[in-house]
Amino acid sequence: MEKAVIDKGLKVFENGGDAKLITHLNSCVHCGLCAESCIYYKATGDDRFIPARKVEIVASVYRRYHTFAGRFLPALVKARELNEDTANEMVDLLFGACTMCGRCTMHCSIGVDIAYLVKTGRTMLSEMGMVPASLQSTVKAAVETGNNMGIPAAEFVDTLKWMEDELTDELNTKEAKIPIDVKGKKVLYTLNPREPKFFPLSISAMAKIFYAARESWTLSSRMYDITNYAYFSGNNDEARLIAKRMWDEMDQLECSTLVLAECGHGTRALRWESPNYLKKPFPFRVKTSVELIAEYIHDGKIRLDNEKFKEAVTLHDPCNLVRNGGVCMEQRYILQNFIGDFREMAPNGTDNYCCGGGGGQLAMSEYNERRMKTAGVKAEQIRRTGAKIVVSPCHNCVDQLTQINFAFKLNIQVKTMAELVADAIIL
Amino acid sequence: MTWFSLFFLISLLICLASLGYHLLFLLRSGQTPDFAPPSGNIRAGILYSFTGAMSPVKKESAFLHLPTYAAGMVYHLGTFISILLIFLLWADVVFPIALSLGIAAFLLASASCGTGILIKRSVKRNLRALSNPDDYISNTLVTVFQLLTALTLAFGSVFTPWLFVAAGLLLLYIPMGKLKHLLYFFAARCQLGLFFGRRGVWPPHKNQTP
Ligand code: SF4
Ligand code: SF4
Repeated sequence: MEKAVIDKGLKVFENGGDAKLITHLNSCVHCGLCAESCIYYKATGDDRFIPARKVEIVASVYRRYHTFAGRFLPALVKARELNEDTANEMVDLLFGACTMCGRCTMHCSIGVDIAYLVKTGRTMLSEMGMVPASLQSTVKAAVETGNNMGIPAAEFVDTLKWMEDELTDELNTKEAKIPIDVKGKKVLYTLNPREPKFFPLSISAMAKIFYAARESWTLSSRMYDITNYAYFSGNNDEARLIAKRMWDEMDQLECSTLVLAECGHGTRALRWESPNYLKKPFPFRVKTSVELIAEYIHDGKIRLDNEKFKEAVTLHDPCNLVRNGGVCMEQRYILQNFIGDFREMAPNGTDNYCCGGGGGQLAMSEYNERRMKTAGVKAEQIRRTGAKIVVSPCHNCVDQLTQINFAFKLNIQVKTMAELVADAIIL
Repeated sequence: MTWFSLFFLISLLICLASLGYHLLFLLRSGQTPDFAPPSGNIRAGILYSFTGAMSPVKKESAFLHLPTYAAGMVYHLGTFISILLIFLLWADVVFPIALSLGIAAFLLASASCGTGILIKRSVKRNLRALSNPDDYISNTLVTVFQLLTALTLAFGSVFTPWLFVAAGLLLLYIPMGKLKHLLYFFAARCQLGLFFGRRGVWPPHKNQTP
């Protein structure tokens, strides 16, 4: 491996990093008590997947170049050179064996932000041009076409028109619309490109909710993609570019509130990271669709039929929305409003297990087999609830849960929150 | 001043200077500003990080490993007591016999916990793979320090030089490896409280089922 490439990776530690980075790089005491927090270790029992091993591979490189012991007595603290072997191992552990769910972080005996160090390691690999090809191609599609699935604008608009026709037919009114590129509306609503591509009914479901709440809203045909896979690839420049487009679109359309579709990592990348990518606070309001729906119910703007669903319903908490985003009670408030038999998973909320599809795993076909192995933990959780419907406010999770349903023969229905709510709405 | 007291004093100064440097470096590195508006209470998050989040009821690393957790707690308490005692012994403070023997017994127990942790690290495959020589050295130095404190309390001055030498070596070693966590532990809990507090994750919502 060329020195120039290694130097690029090491640049992430330039000047030793900021206080947060230095703290977490120096804090692990190798107690190993984080092992069971991680779905990779839980599902496989493979020592390599203990969260501390992911910390260690990043921290050992840091030690080699930035600590006294690492420089002069590397064997004492197992400090590692950044070379081809180390980098390849980093790719396998940090991209291939972590969803950055942060469950281990919460349970670490010291308080090491393990997911943050995994992200730091991913940034190093991104600087070195070592992002797995499948993940990088997803980022490339977003950068080049404006959405991670490369959907042409004409196809997108056609899908929206088709969904609008369906909606007006269903509701028997021309008032129920899916507005596109309308300036000056209150809400700019975002989408996960999976929706127009594979699940267009979730778009009409949200449109139905907006209609019922008499919301002033629009979609953009230019920039609707809430996702930002560059957050997972660790490429901050690409992440910044993608985030900026959404900020610019808010400006163009003169909307006052950006409403984030049901997408955990998209929410994280936009709500929590985009101001930092752009180094300024939001000039507009940001809200998740889950928070908005909860607000509609609370304010009496929509009413739900609590007789609609007789089956037991359980909730999967997306890690990025809940543990890493703090949106935890709103989805429960919504469900308790109209679901008679709502059953929590154990554990749940901020302590939930990742479905296995986060951290860009669904985009990285290289690790499909491993991903589906980790899914066993979630499958077992769902099975234990006995629920027939699993709702999750994240399209990425819904995708993984759908695969889990098939692979583990759970015989469940998997729905987004908007789909469930739209089905029960009283007009 | 005896030679061993002098050695202890020099080691202490080197240790404090070195830890001071780490602390200064950490503070001077600064916190990257977070431009995202908070949705929670940062102070409450940091407070929770040091309190509720550490409780064995909440922390899986504790409640799934209760014997190790308990051993770790006793071991750390033993270390704090030993540190306090060495300064008192240095100042020639004399304890009543019963008290000396009581503390010595506790320190014997805490040193046993340290030995247990060391054995666990040596025996368990996954821990061995995670460990480096520093882990074993740190564990050994702290355990020996506790043991010698106990022996000094129980049997008097015959062990005093040994205790001060062990303490001096430990102090010299602290800035080298994982024992620095006596500083970074607090920084890590602050950082974690800041992160989860800001995002409204900590303190947890009241009606969330654990
Ligand atoms: S962030 Fe999640 S997937 Fe990654 S090591 Fe921690 S628990 Fe495992
Ligand atoms: S629980 Fe924390 S301190 Fe212990 S090994 Fe895991 S990451 Fe390191």
